[in-house]
Amino acid sequence: MVIAPLRRKVLRDLVRLWAQVLAIALVLAAGVATLILGNGAYSSLYETRSKYYEDNRFADVFADVTRAPRALLAEIEEIEGVLDAEARIVKLGLLDIDGMKEPGSVLFVSLPGNGAGLNQLYLRLGRLPDAQSAKEVVVADGFAKAHNLGPGDTLPVLMNGQRRELQITGVALSPEFIYALGPGQMMPDPRRFGIVWAPRASLEASFDLEGAFSNVVLKLAPGANPDRVIETLDRLTAPYGGVGASPRKDQISHAFLDAELKQLSAMVKVLPPIFLLVAAMLVNMTLSRLIALEREQIGLLKAIGYSSRSIAQHYVEFVVVIAFVGILIGMAAGTWLGTGMAQMYARFFSFPYLVFTRDPQIYGLAAVITLASAIGGALYAVRTVLRLPPAVAMAPPAPAVYRQRMGWFRRLLPMPQTGVMVARHLFRWPFRTASSTIGVAMAVAILVASLWSFGSINYMIDITFFRTERHDAQVVFGAPEPYRTLFAVRQMPGVLVAEPFRSVSAKISHQNLSKKLAIVGRPAGSELSRVLDADLRLMEPPAAGLILTEALADALGVRPGDLVTVEVLEGARPTVTLPVNGVSLGYVGLGAAMEIGALNRLMGESALVSGLNLKIDKAQDAAFYAAAKAAPKTEHITVTALMLGRFKETLAENITVMITVYVSLATIIAVGVVYNFSRIALSEQGRELASLRVLGFTNREVAGVLFGELAVVVLLAQPIGWLIGYGIGLAMVAAFSSDLYRVPFVMGRDVYATASLVVLAAALVSAFAIRGRINNLDMIEVLKTRE
Amino acid sequence: MTAEIVFRAKGLTKVYRNGALEVHALRGIDFQARKGEFIVILGPSGSGKSTFLNIVGGLDKASAGEAWFEDHQLTALDEKGLTQYRRDHVGFVFQFYNLVPSLTARENVQLVTEIARKPMSADEALALVGLSERADHFPAQLSGGEQQRVAIARAIAKNPEVLLCDEPTGALDSATGIKVLEALTQVNRAVGATTLVITHNAAIRDIADRVIRFADGRIVEESVNATKKAAAEVSW
Repeated sequence: MVIAPLRRKVLRDLVRLWAQVLAIALVLAAGVATLILGNGAYSSLYETRSKYYEDNRFADVFADVTRAPRALLAEIEEIEGVLDAEARIVKLGLLDIDGMKEPGSVLFVSLPGNGAGLNQLYLRLGRLPDAQSAKEVVVADGFAKAHNLGPGDTLPVLMNGQRRELQITGVALSPEFIYALGPGQMMPDPRRFGIVWAPRASLEASFDLEGAFSNVVLKLAPGANPDRVIETLDRLTAPYGGVGASPRKDQISHAFLDAELKQLSAMVKVLPPIFLLVAAMLVNMTLSRLIALEREQIGLLKAIGYSSRSIAQHYVEFVVVIAFVGILIGMAAGTWLGTGMAQMYARFFSFPYLVFTRDPQIYGLAAVITLASAIGGALYAVRTVLRLPPAVAMAPPAPAVYRQRMGWFRRLLPMPQTGVMVARHLFRWPFRTASSTIGVAMAVAILVASLWSFGSINYMIDITFFRTERHDAQVVFGAPEPYRTLFAVRQMPGVLVAEPFRSVSAKISHQNLSKKLAIVGRPAGSELSRVLDADLRLMEPPAAGLILTEALADALGVRPGDLVTVEVLEGARPTVTLPVNGVSLGYVGLGAAMEIGALNRLMGESALVSGLNLKIDKAQDAAFYAAAKAAPKTEHITVTALMLGRFKETLAENITVMITVYVSLATIIAVGVVYNFSRIALSEQGRELASLRVLGFTNREVAGVLFGELAVVVLLAQPIGWLIGYGIGLAMVAAFSSDLYRVPFVMGRDVYATASLVVLAAALVSAFAIRGRINNLDMIEVLKTRE
Repeated sequence: MTAEIVFRAKGLTKVYRNGALEVHALRGIDFQARKGEFIVILGPSGSGKSTFLNIVGGLDKASAGEAWFEDHQLTALDEKGLTQYRRDHVGFVFQFYNLVPSLTARENVQLVTEIARKPMSADEALALVGLSERADHFPAQLSGGEQQRVAIARAIAKNPEVLLCDEPTGALDSATGIKVLEALTQVNRAVGATTLVITHNAAIRDIADRVIRFADGRIVEESVNATKKAAAEVSW
């Protein structure tokens, strides 16, 4: 095969400039990889969820009631827009496994019995329970794995206060519990929270709900308005203790998946454009220099009859090859990381399968965008080739024109002539200086925008667990108990302090905005559960009126002093208007606080408590757990230390991966920009630097000139990068905050410092990579040749 | 002449190896130069004169033999020692001036005065070569002859003991070249630096104290001018 001479030149140039080529290709690759990873993971997660929902008939509306007669179901089915409805029994129970000292909960969910219904199970092992059996159950996959259970094993539980030995016939997954969050938990913990599906008859008997149901799920007709259905449904269930139905978007498992999808789509919007922009700048810088160096060759080629077009094409081909190298590396890396991401999802979310889409469209799109950005960067540089008349090209270029600038600056800050060289060279190529600075700033920004989250999670933990919810354990009763229960609990082993709270479901409205949540009443002077304002000052529960969390106040658009309508969804269901007394900190969920006496008065009830916050003697925790579990009124027990431990454990699993990924991405940019910038600066000033060596400047001093330029670019980039990173972080906080959680924006100095240190280290390494070239400058050669 | 000897070379040899090929650039040079002497070195291309200048200037290393500058044995110095030697004692002037394009004439001279031990002021050096008026111009704004005079000012501003010039007029026309030579003889007198000028322009020989001719890596002829001409008196 005969390779045309210009093609051969492309190949030789690539080999000769391999390090610069590779640096650019890696930046492009990072763009491709993040694009494929982000889009791939997004569509994977989205497609998997959609298919799973469809295959297993995931419901659209969810509602809890205290106890409603089954006859009500027919009325519910009649609501316009309802396609299908299933009345279920959904009740919490306690785990009673021997050897497991810490408390755990199970959620019992009834099965329709005919294999139909909504939220159908995906049976992974065994079989469904016999509809007539009082003992047979199917358990959730994650829970079964955590306890090493399978078909044929028994599961000891407390149902409605009664100890029962259940018989496991199968292991299953449900679209309702992809992200299975236990009561009072912040993260799925399959060891301490499991789902147990049992035939309805068996649950009816256990929970005294014969002929009744406690939960209803609806499937809506396509195009039906969920809000209108919910309005009617709420009216129907209100007499039976209905606390208000939720549309699918507020269903916990679904909402957490949505949050993840939101983060992924944000990543796709932010990261790939950064890489592609930086890569385009690098291509432009490098190609401009190559063309400047080959000016005479270009003139010669034109003189002997090559068209401007074919020469321009030659340089574009050079860039296209770089782009292809980048695209290939990026596709491989993106696919590999995508598999890793899918495994991470498999750990977090319970899916029966994962549709990992290797959609050729995503790959094609990534390739096209990347190619376009590389060629876009090349075009500007190639324009000079088209314009250059051959006669002019073959003559040496006109000497660079420098100007004296910033004389005032030098009078203020005297600097050596080498410093003047640095400054003038930077000003001589303002576009290159600016784009390199922006490039390095992007590396800093990527780190700032990713690393801040760890600090803010720690801050959130500190505020939530050490400043507001400071209890060791919380006991929640199945139904409100009289105040005297407090004294009984205080007698339990290990209980040092017990403080009551009352929790009431309510809908709080302001103008046309409303939110459903639990209003929590605490006694004044509570130590174990406190309310703090934005400046971390203690807020005492108001005698009349409410304190809303920031998230709720924002969602309702209220400020202290405004009035809100409170529609209680339990008991006598009073509706009252209350003033907002203040706005408090709170990162998890929506919250409203009152004084417990005021709340009970509002309910028109005597002194009732929904549960207790406790301080426990660590030495006696096992005895306490056993006693609390045995108490018949206990619905569930949360243990702060266990929850926090699980939270930190999960965080620790991800933190290393995340830091590795982001540091690698930032390093790729920093190295790519700094290395190319240095090589180009060296190529342009090699002659001057060698002349300095002749004049008696040491290697170190000569390197100082080049590194001085680099230092200016890299240092200038730091504050810019901090600023951009801060902006991205702020946008992320706004984008990620939901009713489920809100992320505090804590940007500590350590974040800036870490980001800068990583980028400075990467810059130093790439600077040292060209140190050898500076040391080997040929002094004799430069004296013999004209520039 | 009774002035002290500044340079001594004995059996100076330089062999370049290019694969299997050996090129003998210098084949045993014996040489001496006295303080303040103005020496013109003539010879065709490839005769070894530049290699010789590079070795005595500390830019290159000899393969064999010895070269001394005062009490420094140049052939025994390492890279660092040679750099220090160039920095403290040697002024260079080259055919292509090798000015830093981003610095003005004055700043190019200051580049050297900043790192020299006992420099004159940059303005003084530029006055010596008659360029006081052009001190604030960048190289690109100066003619070739002016650029070369800036290079000379830069070379002598450190008050060097040695001034080494490799084809200083090579890129210049005759009238401009003569101006440059005037500048060189002027500073040779004023600073008292031992001056070695390489050229293949035989017309320049008349302004020297002594003329050495190189051929094929050896010194083949050496002559002392009984009467030096002024630079203005020569022409080519």
